[in-house]
Amino acid sequence: MKSGRRILSAVLAVAGLLMASGCAAAGASTAPPGVLNIGIVQDVITWDVGQGHNGHRLVAFQPAYDTLIRREPDGTLVPMLATAWDYTDAGRTTMELEIRDGVTFSDGAALDAEAVKANMEHFRTANGPQAVQLADVAEVRVTGPQRLEVELERPNPALEFYLSQAAGMMASPEALGKPETDRTPVGSGPYVMDPARSVAGDRYVFRARPDYWSPDLQQWDEIVLKVLSDSTARVNALISGQIDATQLIPRNTAQAENAGREIVNWDANWAGLLLLDRDGAVAPELADVRVRQAINMAFDRQVAVDGVLNGYGTPTSQVFGEASTAYDPALDDYYPYDPQRARELLAEAGYPDGFTMTLPLPASMNENIPFIAQPLADIGITARITTVPPQNSQAELGSARYPAAYFQIFQGPTWVAVEQLLVPETLYNPFRSEDPELTAILDRIRTADPDDVEAPREMARYVTEQAWFAPWARMGVTNAVDPDKVRMEPQIGQAVPSIYNYHPVG
Amino acid sequence: MLPFLIRRLASGAVVLVAVCCLAFLLLFFSTDDVAVNILGEQATPEQIAAKNAELGLDQPLLQRLADWWVAVLSGDFGSSWFNNETVVGALAARLPVTLTVVAVAILAIGVLATTLGMTAAVRRGWADRAVQTGAAIGDALPSFMIGLILVSIFVVALPWFPAVSVIAPGSGVSAWVASLTLPMIALLINGVAASAQQVRGAVLTQLSRDHVRTLRSRGLPEREILFRHVLRSAAPAGLTVLSLQFIGMLSAVVVLEQVFALPGVGTLAVQATTTGDLPLVMGVVAYTTVIVVVVNLLVDLANGWLNPKVRVA
Repeated sequence: MKSGRRILSAVLAVAGLLMASGCAAAGASTAPPGVLNIGIVQDVITWDVGQGHNGHRLVAFQPAYDTLIRREPDGTLVPMLATAWDYTDAGRTTMELEIRDGVTFSDGAALDAEAVKANMEHFRTANGPQAVQLADVAEVRVTGPQRLEVELERPNPALEFYLSQAAGMMASPEALGKPETDRTPVGSGPYVMDPARSVAGDRYVFRARPDYWSPDLQQWDEIVLKVLSDSTARVNALISGQIDATQLIPRNTAQAENAGREIVNWDANWAGLLLLDRDGAVAPELADVRVRQAINMAFDRQVAVDGVLNGYGTPTSQVFGEASTAYDPALDDYYPYDPQRARELLAEAGYPDGFTMTLPLPASMNENIPFIAQPLADIGITARITTVPPQNSQAELGSARYPAAYFQIFQGPTWVAVEQLLVPETLYNPFRSEDPELTAILDRIRTADPDDVEAPREMARYVTEQAWFAPWARMGVTNAVDPDKVRMEPQIGQAVPSIYNYHPVG
Repeated sequence: MLPFLIRRLASGAVVLVAVCCLAFLLLFFSTDDVAVNILGEQATPEQIAAKNAELGLDQPLLQRLADWWVAVLSGDFGSSWFNNETVVGALAARLPVTLTVVAVAILAIGVLATTLGMTAAVRRGWADRAVQTGAAIGDALPSFMIGLILVSIFVVALPWFPAVSVIAPGSGVSAWVASLTLPMIALLINGVAASAQQVRGAVLTQLSRDHVRTLRSRGLPEREILFRHVLRSAAPAGLTVLSLQFIGMLSAVVVLEQVFALPGVGTLAVQATTTGDLPLVMGVVAYTTVIVVVVNLLVDLANGWLNPKVRVA
């Protein structure tokens, strides 16, 4: 009896000790003012600029690396490391860039035209995930200490945009290609990584760089990127104050709001079906435009927005978003929900009894299955859905084994969307389908002024009429912040805000 | 004893080789997509071919397996395909976190399960019913769910612990305790249930044996009978369950590390598997197999030491 009581009190004492030290550590983790803690969804894996990416991975690079051109929250392109740029020929194949004078990298190396050339050549040979951004470059010529020319094999209307993205990130020429750059970035950015306090796969600590060339862009003393791939861990860390900002999944937003956090929501991706087999290679039915149109009419898009996206999204029939000159508000309700008309269209196409098709779906999106299969079943199409591991989902989609697929894809500027969705070379066009009428419009866009909206809108209308896709909605991205500490500015066409869009409060 | 040890070590080596070869084979069929994973949605077939050649994925399976073994036998587990971090370095940085959680949890389970199991077996009555009910509940709840419940109580409602790991390079004991306590308790609640049941069963069996009756009839104090004779004969069952628990925890902790964002081997394994980082996955497989073999060997040795009857010639 006595010994039992002794054990009990010992257990209680240990538990108390644990709690006390737990409290102390939890309290200590509350960051001093001037430190911005961001929960990032994906690990960075490598800091080599040649492996630079878009979306989450782009933003993670921004503390360490400046880009040649900076993209404002509304999508306007403004000078950063390049002070000026313009095409020097009418055919828009040679761009001249002026490089800012007096900028140094964190290892002391100077930014000059030679450094920019070295970076561009590294990017082109590194075979990274965004290699397409400079794929049209034929040659980079240095024409002065701070001046160079980029010559293209063929016009690329997205080049300026790409220079605000991965392709425009500049690392010290001394660091390019060195293995240690995989672990520690060496850039000219507003912050410098503190390797002693960073752990790969867990957290990356960046300290403000003294004498940074553009103090306006450097709003924090320190930025900590904490890798939190689990959605529950992110919302818990946000609510408990361990992080100040992160991206949540829609079903976690209410919990964050109840705890006084602010949800900042804007449309950045589109969600829906890609009707890939436009030539009818594996599903002959899809070669008929009426079948593709019927599929578009099968979906009550608002139901999908409410059910799958918890209401964070805007129903639409087009794949082009507000960041694109192709975006035409009139196309948003081009295909009304009309299962009766859909069945008629299928009958006209010769399939009154419907047909069966197989779609791959990343296992992480399993909850979408009824929203895909039921509407299709209502018009007579049997959707066999094969779940695939998320890491294989892009490869499966691009394998030309599936006539259609559900996916969520980011909405970039016009030419980015063209290269991503429409050209025969892209992964999202696995059957390499082409349409002469569309190709003619694309050729016009290629050489037109990027601000011109006529040809892009014609393209949007044509692609929507031809029903290459059956979009559901522009998806809202649900970012969340602690409003007492951070004001977050949305970034058009990007799932998470750029690092410059986090402003300290007070 | 020595022949037994040598035999067990040899069979452990066979298991290690077999598991590694099998894992390599399984991974072989999923490496098709690695280049696409690295290169992204707009990779051209030429880029993919170049990346495959760079990673050695254009070589035949047996060649690659042989290359891997040759390198491993010379102590080189290679480097991550994605960031050049050495596999040994990556494991060394993350093993302390995972092993601390699992080892402390297993020690606590050992102590608690023995105490609870013996109390239940000796006292019977309400103590027994309480242990049995608790065991059923604890066993039914997966550890990650217990983890989430703990978070909603001790992080969200009562801000006693951090929601996610605060372990950073050079951080002191308090950061480790703060970050690892909740995951350890989650493992503990789940694990103590099954072990306590086993100890209870084994002790009850021993208590009804003839030699216990003989000992009692010769007037030995009950305490000595319990601790020197009953517990000693009951220990092998408990230890075996404990070793199974330990191995099970190595997988349970994978999910827990995600929930608490702990920089452990589980997080590394998940990331390496989802990206298809074969050298890292193989490193994790090899280390896990070694740990399992070693734990099993230690349990066998401990059983032999505790109970001469199970000492195998």
